[in-house]
Amino acid sequence: MNDGGAKIIQYAITILVLLTLNFFLPRMMPGDPLAYLIGDPGADAPMLLTEEMRANLLDYYGLDRPLPAQYWDYLSGLAQGDLGWSIYYNAPVASVILGRLKWTLLLGGTSAVIYIALGIALGAFSAWRRGSRGDIGILLTVFSLGSWPPFFLGMVLIVFFSYRWRLFPIGGAQSAEAARLGGLFQVWDVLHHGFLPALALVLSYLPGIYLITRNSMLSVLGEDYVRTARSKGILESLVLLRHALPNALLPIVTTIAMRFGFMIMGTMFVEVVFAYPGMGTLIYEAGAARDYPLLQGAFLVTMVFVLMLNLAADLLYGWLDPRVRRTRATG
Amino acid sequence: MHRVNRWLGAAGWALLALFALGAALAPWIAPYDPRAMDTPMLGPSLSHLLGTNDIGQDVLSELLYGARFSLLVGCLAAGLSTVIGVGLGVLAGYYDRLGFAIMRLVDIFLAVPRFPLIVFLAAFLRPGFWTLVLFFTVFGWTKTTRLVRSQILSQRYNGYVEAAVAVGADDVRILVRHLLPGTLSVALVRFIVEFQHVILAESGLSFLGLGDPTVKSWGLMLRYAFEYPTVFISDVWVRWAAPPGLCITLVVLGLTLVSFSLESWTNPRLNGTTG
Repeated sequence: MNDGGAKIIQYAITILVLLTLNFFLPRMMPGDPLAYLIGDPGADAPMLLTEEMRANLLDYYGLDRPLPAQYWDYLSGLAQGDLGWSIYYNAPVASVILGRLKWTLLLGGTSAVIYIALGIALGAFSAWRRGSRGDIGILLTVFSLGSWPPFFLGMVLIVFFSYRWRLFPIGGAQSAEAARLGGLFQVWDVLHHGFLPALALVLSYLPGIYLITRNSMLSVLGEDYVRTARSKGILESLVLLRHALPNALLPIVTTIAMRFGFMIMGTMFVEVVFAYPGMGTLIYEAGAARDYPLLQGAFLVTMVFVLMLNLAADLLYGWLDPRVRRTRATG
Repeated sequence: MHRVNRWLGAAGWALLALFALGAALAPWIAPYDPRAMDTPMLGPSLSHLLGTNDIGQDVLSELLYGARFSLLVGCLAAGLSTVIGVGLGVLAGYYDRLGFAIMRLVDIFLAVPRFPLIVFLAAFLRPGFWTLVLFFTVFGWTKTTRLVRSQILSQRYNGYVEAAVAVGADDVRILVRHLLPGTLSVALVRFIVEFQHVILAESGLSFLGLGDPTVKSWGLMLRYAFEYPTVFISDVWVRWAAPPGLCITLVVLGLTLVSFSLESWTNPRLNGTTG
């Protein structure tokens, strides 16, 4: 079996495991999911369900039918984009998620591009000037920044930038006024709201990327081919960009890919702290409101998204590594 | 640079030792029972060094007991997952067929984004101490296994292993006496990285309200402070929200420094010559 085929099978199995987990978990809860959702009638805050919502839920879980039939319904529903019915929003889960997804993509995507690019640039510089004042300066700054949990960093940013200096909004993704007016004002408003959460994410995840790059570049810079390139007398910048960095990138790509899940979790924390209306806040609210269909849907979308990123990184890895590229071309 | 490494490493160990000591001695050095209630929202004073929270509990005592929970979860989960990871890695590197099976399992586990999954499981199962340790262990061993296996594969055909086989040493002796010691440095680095991830993830879960609500932890302290309506307008946050946040930060910093100095110690290529 070739490498690509094995990868696809591996991802298929992973997705199947996650789907199955997503199917069984609510059904394993004490009682049935509905009873668990509604809660004990004598409890402080029993969930109030209208007849219509109850029917929607029963229809989604299909509890009166045998398990294999439920499982089949669940899978075929998913294939048609049916993620169930949100109790809290009284709306289809898919449409609730769709409204939130764009904000997470905007916040998480923009900051990921920034911290990956900046981390690689700083790490390469640090390795090149290893032991210099610049290197040690960056290293120490990065150590002291990188240890802050994203949610605590977010709080500290809010205290100073929003409350004390009143430079940025306390939370949210945009103001109602800007959303109404649209145009350039809305663009500015969205950037203004997104700045602090993005800063929190960049400061939290830049150090990881920086350290991997620094390590990877350090090992590459000690290699014979780098010494050969230098002894040929070519420009130092070419040695770095042509000979060292491409080889150093391989482990960097792998490590970044393996950390996507960790980074997604950080985005979730930061969203909650800044009340940013993305997937993280949605998962948090769904958990707090015990809106299990919504929680399951949001979880599934997040997981599939991370898996797609991982797959993309795998493909990128094959393209970056000349050895893999060559075997593909000949074999 | 070697000096800088050593100095950073020592600073890291010192930080960790300080917190470990505080956590271990909490019942004896904490000035109050962390649940006992006094006057709410007291400022720092001699009787309450860091003041009290919104229901009058002593913040310093909460911190010390919080250290116990966070460090214990981290240490246990990281320790268990490292032991399991090394064990399976050694077996996978030495026995080819078993290794194939183990590595397919590793592939599946590695493909699952474990932190979102743990958040999801926690939202359903509302974990307590042991459930948290279980989550982090089950999803934490795979990377260690992969690294240890490749280490074993490279050692296996070394002269000393073949010599041991030639004089008739049995598998157990070869695995334990000849192959295991070579994996210890990898295991130590992995333990520390895992520890760090667990501390961050556990405090994050507690901050979201998905951890154990009955146990004092740093994440839970942050959560209560964060939810208090006027905490950021006044300076209350400095002595209520900042201490648990700084504690998490310092522990993670200590672990980062230690792993950094260990890594350049175990990987001599990082100390290679540059122009």
